[in-house]
Order: sequence, then structure tokens, then C-alpha cells
Amino acid sequence: MTEISSDEIGVADFAVREHRSLWIDAWRRLISNRTARLGMVVVSIFVLTTVFAHFFWEYDPRTDLDYSLKLKSPNLFPTEEVASIHPFGTDKLGRDIFRRVVHGGWNSLRVGLVAVGISLLIGGLFGLLAGFYESIGLSRAEKILLRVVIGLILGALPAWIAGQFYQALLFAALGLAAAVFDKFLAGKPTRVAFFAGIGLLIGGGLGLLVAPAVGLVCGVLGIAIGAVLSLPLGGTFFSSTVMRGMDIILAFPGYLLAIAIVAFLGPGLEKGMIAIGIVGIPVYARITRSSVLSVTQKEYILAAQSTGEGHSRILFRHIFPNILSPLTVQSTMGLAGAILSAAALGFLGLGAIPPTPEWGAMLGDSYKYLASGAWWAVVFPGVAIMLSVLGFNLLGDGLRDALDPKIQT
Amino acid sequence: MARYIFNRLLSLLPTLLGVAFVIFMFQRLIPGDPAVAMLGEHAAQDNVERIREQLGLNRPLFLDREALRDGDIEGFFDSQFIRYLRRLAVLDLGDSIHRRIPVAETLMLRFPATMELALLAMFLAVSIGLPVGILSAARRNSALDGVTMVGSLVGVSMPIFWLGIMMIMLFAVYLQWLPSSGRLSHDVGLETITNFVLIDSVITGNWAAFVDGLEHLAMPVIALATIPMAIIARMTRSSMLDVLQDDYIRTAHAKGVRESVVLGKHALKNAFLPVITVIGIQTGILLAGAVLTETIFAWPGIGKWIYDAILGRDYPIVQGGTLLIAVIFVVINLLVDISYAYLDPRIKYD
Repeated sequence: MTEISSDEIGVADFAVREHRSLWIDAWRRLISNRTARLGMVVVSIFVLTTVFAHFFWEYDPRTDLDYSLKLKSPNLFPTEEVASIHPFGTDKLGRDIFRRVVHGGWNSLRVGLVAVGISLLIGGLFGLLAGFYESIGLSRAEKILLRVVIGLILGALPAWIAGQFYQALLFAALGLAAAVFDKFLAGKPTRVAFFAGIGLLIGGGLGLLVAPAVGLVCGVLGIAIGAVLSLPLGGTFFSSTVMRGMDIILAFPGYLLAIAIVAFLGPGLEKGMIAIGIVGIPVYARITRSSVLSVTQKEYILAAQSTGEGHSRILFRHIFPNILSPLTVQSTMGLAGAILSAAALGFLGLGAIPPTPEWGAMLGDSYKYLASGAWWAVVFPGVAIMLSVLGFNLLGDGLRDALDPKIQT
Repeated sequence: MARYIFNRLLSLLPTLLGVAFVIFMFQRLIPGDPAVAMLGEHAAQDNVERIREQLGLNRPLFLDREALRDGDIEGFFDSQFIRYLRRLAVLDLGDSIHRRIPVAETLMLRFPATMELALLAMFLAVSIGLPVGILSAARRNSALDGVTMVGSLVGVSMPIFWLGIMMIMLFAVYLQWLPSSGRLSHDVGLETITNFVLIDSVITGNWAAFVDGLEHLAMPVIALATIPMAIIARMTRSSMLDVLQDDYIRTAHAKGVRESVVLGKHALKNAFLPVITVIGIQTGILLAGAVLTETIFAWPGIGKWIYDAILGRDYPIVQGGTLLIAVIFVVINLLVDISYAYLDPRIKYD
């Protein structure tokens, strides 16, 4: 038996690994994943061609028109009938479909990025704050601020009815008082009665100056507002209010809500982006909130709290970096969904306004000509939609595997 | 349990009120006066005023503070929004602006069309998606698994309106096997009882109509089923994979329990929770009326109806239809939550 001296095998050989950050680690896992590689290839081709085409291949949809080339089938070589090359054929206005498909990608990419950006920014912020305050709770200053804002918002109603704007300020002051003296009669029904009584005095008293009926209504409202302000409103209240609001948006089926928003804003690519973005807000809010809730259970958050770090520092230094991976996955998948939704809106005639090249609108334009046998006018834009959406979905799938080492598939 | 259901029902109220509020605001904020929409651009001013009064459009939106100052408390609450809520409470959805018939009546006529389509699509999606998901989890990394994973990704990436068009092109235009639009051919008569074509034709023993109805349903059902099928297969697979790693599965195998029993009884029962959520949500989405599918196949369901109404600014239809859909959505979510209790007794409710 040969002895192995400790010199031959250094500790460094197996115990110490080069330092790698989560993102470099994730990147390595990502490129070793077959699905993700495929997704990356498709997405890069899509992004590169559209960006390249947008900047280096001039196209003016307003002047693109040639009736002599109406609905010609695809050709890869010039023929007697058609001297120019149209790999995807031409549409009802004699426009080269290949060119429009490539340029349409720019619009799809734009819609995807802007819509996901809107959902991510607004939904993410709501979810971040809701999750954070639900599990960490409010600091004293935040509690006061919350109560003042609630007082101001609720007080606006009696203030409007009586036409006395200072009523709202008084209710805000009542909120301030309720927050500052939150130990006063804490947990006792007398506390509710006390603040409700002050509310009655504010609303009813000032209302009586206008008219007796106004005094009555404002008094009743004042009682309710006072009672609400007396309650120990904290992080859970904030979170559930925000999430109830999200539930309301979620109660509408996606497409229908997007269509309604576009009907309200008017058609157009930009309006479509906003509509799709708004529809996505609750999804991101929910994901962010649940990720924050699970991160805040970790010991390092407790450690940060116990060393006296402020809320904003905990939020942005400790929580935010740790919820990035679910948000990255969701945003990638969200891009796929947004491109699909934009195409659907375009197909229904609510997205891009003709002659802007947009895949969904191109499909909607051409499918009336199906009976005349012009299959190419509907096949190619559809394939373009499917491939780009598939690319982002593949990438998102791979990202999920790469960023979350716990899930093994 | 009863207490939990009651609490959940109670928590629906603010959501539904919020939904009603959003719909109301949409309807009022969209540019254009409904009274002018009813009478046309060139209507006389006093006629417009009369209609506005009939519709209650001359009342304030929420509360009438002027009336309150005169001591008129009833007048204070007599606003457009409160009137709208009162009508909703008695299920009065108003009349269509363009066709002047009650919205509720048309809804009853159109909803069965959507429901027939949605339920069949969901049936197809579950009966294919579920077994495929189970099998590909059991034969992980096999060829079947690969096909399932790729197929399901393609399925969720498919623009279904495009799939519909492709099917019409192939089966209706080139092969001429299937009809491309509507619920029944013109020359097939069918007595309307429940307004479900398949049920009505069975009740009346009208087999020609049954076959014709099935032919009309085939393509829209397949188009509509594609996305839920893909989602169900993926969800079943990943949920089964989680469960199959558990110790009791190994125990069951060690005891010599047959593979099919292990999969069907031990594993599926425990893997079913996330799957039922997906099935529930997807059913809600399908029942909500697949605007795109209904548009392509000229299906007389509520999705297309609401879409047309939005374009035609027929607010009562938009309002009634959207409200019904939102209620269905919310109720299905509730049913999914309640079904958890039966599937997994470990879940505690308070």
C-alpha cells in the first residue's frame, strides 16, 4: 500500500473552487442546456435580423405598392412573369412578403419589450412593496405616512360632498394622530369609538355648516373613516389592498381586457403595447410578491434587520437581487406572450394601423384571400410569429432550469 | 369547510364590486354619447335629451351633492352608478343599443354556443394532455417525452388564430372535408331546446343534425384545445416528476405494485393539485369566450359578440357580457380552491 503524502494532493484540488457569481454559474448552466441553446439561437436570429433590417434595409410601407405583382406565389429565381425575387411571395397590394415579415419583426420586438417593461415596472413595484411590507412590517414613519394617506383619500369623499377641501386635511390629521398614538387604548373597542367620535365631529360638524342633510351624511362617513383609522393598519392591510386591486384586473380575461383598453385608447401599435402591458401587471405583481415573501424568510434578511439596516437598504440590497431570477424567467416568457397578444390584436384590426408591417395585421389582411389559393400570404407571417414566440419560450424554459438549480428536469 | 366557503364567497363581493365599477367606468369614459349612438348623428337635440333622461344619463355619475344640499337624501343616491348597481342586483342588463333587445336574452342564446365549444375543447385537452403528461413523466427522457416537451412548447407558442386559418385552408378549402364556419349547415334543421346543438339533436333524435354539428365543432374545438392541452401536459409531467421522486413511490414499487397502479393511484392523486388549478383556470379562459377562435370560425358565441359590441360601441352588451365572464372567472377560481379540500385533506382551512 502506497502512502499518499499530503503534499501530492493539495486541498485546493477538491475543496476550493474558483469563485463564481450566481450569474456566471447560471450562464454556464444555460449554455450547457440544449433547450436553452436552441432558444438562444432562435432569439438571436430573430433579434439580429430585425434590428439589422430596421437600420440597414430601408423600407417605406407608405410607398410600397405594385398592383402588377398582386398575389404572386413565392419564387426563388426570376421568372418570365415576375422579374423580381419574392421568396415568400407577394400580398394583395403586390408587396414583397419576405420584406414585410422581416420588418414586421421590429414592431413585434418593440411591442414585446415595451409591454413587458410596463408590466414589469408597475407590477414588480406593487409586488415588491406588497410582499416586503407584508412580511417585514412597516417602520414607524411608514405607518404614519400610510395612515395620513388613507385619511386623505377617505376624507376626500366627505370633503367633496360638503365642498370643504380642508375636511380631507382634517381626516389626514386624524390619521396622523391615530398613528402617533397607536398605543392609546390599543386593542380596546373604546379606541374605535374614540376615533369614530372624532370623525363624527369633523364630518358632521363641518357638514352642518353647509346643510343639515350634508351634516348627516358626512357625519356617518366620518364615523366610518374614524373607525378605519383607529384600526392597527399595517403591512398586511397594505398588501391585501394592493393584491385585491390586482385580483380585479385578473377577473377579466386577458384578450377581452386588452381589446377593451384598445377600444378606449383607439387602435395603434403604441396603444396595443400599453393595453398588453396593463393586462400583464397582476401576473408580475403576484410573482414578485410571492418571491419576496419566500426571500424574506431567509436568515440573511433577519441578520440585516438585526444589524439595524434601513428598509430601503434591505429592499434593494438584499431582497431585490434575490428575486431577479424568477422575474427574468417570467419576463422572457412574457415577451413570448406579448408578441402573441400583439399579433392577436393586429389580427383583429386593433393593433398596428395599415400599412405598418406587423405580423398579426398581415395575417388579418390576407386571410380573406385564402379561397383564391394565396396560401403564402398567411403561412409566412404565421410561421414568423410562431418561431419568435417559440424562441422566447425555449429560452425562458432553459433560463428556469439554469437559474433555479433546485428544479431538476 | 362550510365556514371557509362562506368566507370565500364573502371575499368575492369586493372583487365583483370592483369589477362592476371598472366596467361602469370604461363604459362612461369611452368617447361618444350613447344617446347619440342610439339616435344617429343628426338627431334633434330635444330627442337626444329625452333619451338621455330615459337612460339616466342626465344624472351625475356617482353621487348628487347638489340634491343633498337641498336636503334630498334619496336624490343624493340617485346616480348613474347606483342605478346601474340596482339593475344588476335584479339581473337587468339593459337593452342592446343597436338591436333594442334585452342583453340578457341574447346572452342566454349565445352562451350555450360558447359553452359547448369550450367544454368539448377542455374535454379534448384533458383527455389527451393528462395521459401524455403522465406517460412522459414515467418514461422520462424517452422519445415520447421528447416529443411531448417539444410538442407542448410548440403548442403554447402557436398563435391559435393562425392554426385555425391553416386548418380551414387544409380541411375546408383544399380537402373540403369540414365546414369552415357556423354551428350548423343551412339545410339542416334543428329544433332549439337547450341551444346546445349536440344535446338538442340527441333529444329530438335528429342524427343528421348531430353529425353536422360535430363536423362544425371539429376544427374550432381542436384550435381551442391546443393551448390548454399543451399546458396541461407540461404541468402534469412536471408535477408527476416531483411526486415520483418521493419515498412512498419507491416503497410501492418495492412492494411489487404494478406500474400502472403506482402511476395512476399513488402518484397521480398527489400530483393532481397543480393540474386541477391549471384545468380550472383554462376552463375559465375558454368559457370567457375565445374571441379569436370564434371570429375565425364565425362561431355565434359570446366572445365574438362582445368583440363586435366593443367595435360598435354597444355598451350594454359589453357591460353585461364582460360582467358575466368576470363572474364565471371568479366562481371557477373559487371552485378550484374548494376542490383542493377534497383532493388533499392535509390542506387546512380557517
